[in-house]
Amino acid sequence: MSEGALPKEDAVLRVDDLQKSFGGLAATDHATFAVERGTITGLIGPNGAGKSTLFNLISGFYEPDGGTVEVNGTDVTGMEPYEVAEHGLIRTFQTPRKLEGMTVREAMLIGPRNQPGESFVNLFARPGTVAESESANLAEAERILEEFEIDHLATQPATDISGGQMKLVELARAMLAEPEVLLLDEPVAGVNPTLAKKLKEQVRRLNEQGTTFLLIEHDMEFVMDLADPIVVLDQGHVLTEGTPEEVRNDDRVIDAYLGGGT
Amino acid sequence: MSLVDDPRGALADLTRPEAWVLGVSAAFALFLFVSLLTGALGPSYFLFLVGLAGMYALLSFGLNAQWGFTGLINFSVAAFFGIGAYGSALMTASSSPIAGGFNPLVGLAVALVVAFVLALLIGIPTLRLRADYLAIASLGLAEVVRLIVLNERWLTNGSGGVRGIPGFFQGWPVLSTFPEAMPGLRLEVIPGSPVLLETAFWQASLNVLLVLMFAGAVYFVLHRAHQSPWGRVLRTIRSDEDLARALGKNTYSFKMQSFILGSLIMALAGVFYTHLNLYVGPGDLDPITTFYAWVAVILGGSGSNRGALFGGIVIVTIREGTRFLNDAAALPIDPAPLRLLLIGVVIVAVMRYRPQGVLPPQRELIWPSAVDGGGTPDTPESGVREQKGGGGDE
Repeated sequence: MSEGALPKEDAVLRVDDLQKSFGGLAATDHATFAVERGTITGLIGPNGAGKSTLFNLISGFYEPDGGTVEVNGTDVTGMEPYEVAEHGLIRTFQTPRKLEGMTVREAMLIGPRNQPGESFVNLFARPGTVAESESANLAEAERILEEFEIDHLATQPATDISGGQMKLVELARAMLAEPEVLLLDEPVAGVNPTLAKKLKEQVRRLNEQGTTFLLIEHDMEFVMDLADPIVVLDQGHVLTEGTPEEVRNDDRVIDAYLGGGT
Repeated sequence: MSLVDDPRGALADLTRPEAWVLGVSAAFALFLFVSLLTGALGPSYFLFLVGLAGMYALLSFGLNAQWGFTGLINFSVAAFFGIGAYGSALMTASSSPIAGGFNPLVGLAVALVVAFVLALLIGIPTLRLRADYLAIASLGLAEVVRLIVLNERWLTNGSGGVRGIPGFFQGWPVLSTFPEAMPGLRLEVIPGSPVLLETAFWQASLNVLLVLMFAGAVYFVLHRAHQSPWGRVLRTIRSDEDLARALGKNTYSFKMQSFILGSLIMALAGVFYTHLNLYVGPGDLDPITTFYAWVAVILGGSGSNRGALFGGIVIVTIREGTRFLNDAAALPIDPAPLRLLLIGVVIVAVMRYRPQGVLPPQRELIWPSAVDGGGTPDTPESGVREQKGGGGDE
């Protein structure tokens, strides 16, 4: 099986021959793969394989040296992160981002895209519309918090909750942005096993409701249980892609992880 | 729940810092009132101080909209203040080397337009970069503006400054002749020390009216903006710009809006100053104004509009109050230079004991009708909390 070989008829995200180097180091080296709509696709690879760089390239935080990124059939290569997000691709970060001085539900309310109240003029010209959408967003935020079973945190300061809860809030907030494909960067890193299990259930539930996921994760048990297919990255290029079973039994993957190389 | 409908409930709703500030302010107001009645404080001078306090409040409002909301570090408060002051002075003054003689409303408009353009020009190259670049560029801008004002004599009359500036209400019906038309009043509360209310007093009260209008309008705008989704994006940028970008917010545009809004408010303070002082000179652009505004915002609590108002009043109290120190207590030294020392001591004390400022934002910032009327009747309304408002230590 060659790289990115699985047939993808309805790809929500397509990465083609993506390249990025820092100085002399090719962090992303002609990476090609696609994410099929409706899947939970895993992205694994040893430390330094270029997973986070790839995320940054896809989401517009880095500008690629070559290659293209397509979201929903639109070429988003070189666009600003906010423009990529407007095309339906939302990402989270490896370390939860802290929002000082906000309550959890305030932090949630940043999620919805294109709120009328984000226009300064609307605040004075159309306060009624702003109030309406704010009420709707608040209700939606609390509904999602309930689904995540963290609605009791709604009025807590967003900086005073545990790391695992922050990850849950981050996932919940990303859902408010109504992504077509959601990129999760190590969703369970540093999360206790109980919350990790909860996160896994949530990702699965959201996937069943129609959200496509691409996730980086080092926790093999977590990713093998959740993701199918799995893309393996090594030294910036796609080593292989397959079901968890295939990936687990692939000698090249084992070599890459153990540093066998040739 | 407003103070008018339910005063007892509204008072019970206050957080501790709010109650403290309210108490101290009330005591201070009482002290001023007594000073006025006894004639220790001249009423016209008092109103001049109120105007000055309003001006500093405007400067702090402007800086708060940049630093407090969005985390933009602007060291050119004095430049935007100066643009406002000179913009309106050069348009309206009889001695103006360029246009001159226009209605103060024209001066106001010109000052705001110039400040807008300047904010845009400085924002375009710096706001895409990290926060420190704006800080550096604005520090340079402040000096550039000051030196231009000082040296371009054909434009600004150089070190001579601009004189012959009319009051803001000159040329308006009723208001332009109001001070002369009002009768002189003589109040004698304490026998032997009468309080005289004459033309100067009525003139000063017009200035107070003007600054109250400016500050009131700005407060209304900022208060609403702060509670809105717009303000929430700014606060997200302050904490973590990448998060805002990842969630689809065009942070460059939001930072630009916040920067321009703040700069316009600072220019407004300058316009008011012009018509309060009736003279502007290059000395008004000294960087000290920038640092007074910073002290006011950090002292009041970054991100809080009420805090900015409070900080502005404290600055004027310290600046002008020290003038009276010698009368009150016979000090062996001249207290005027103590002013800066005193401000330094205050800021050190605040940083040490209350780094988030005296009155940081106290409540959740969600569009009010969405919380009260809309979706969520069961949740507690005010997630009252002590928070780390970020602030001066960054």
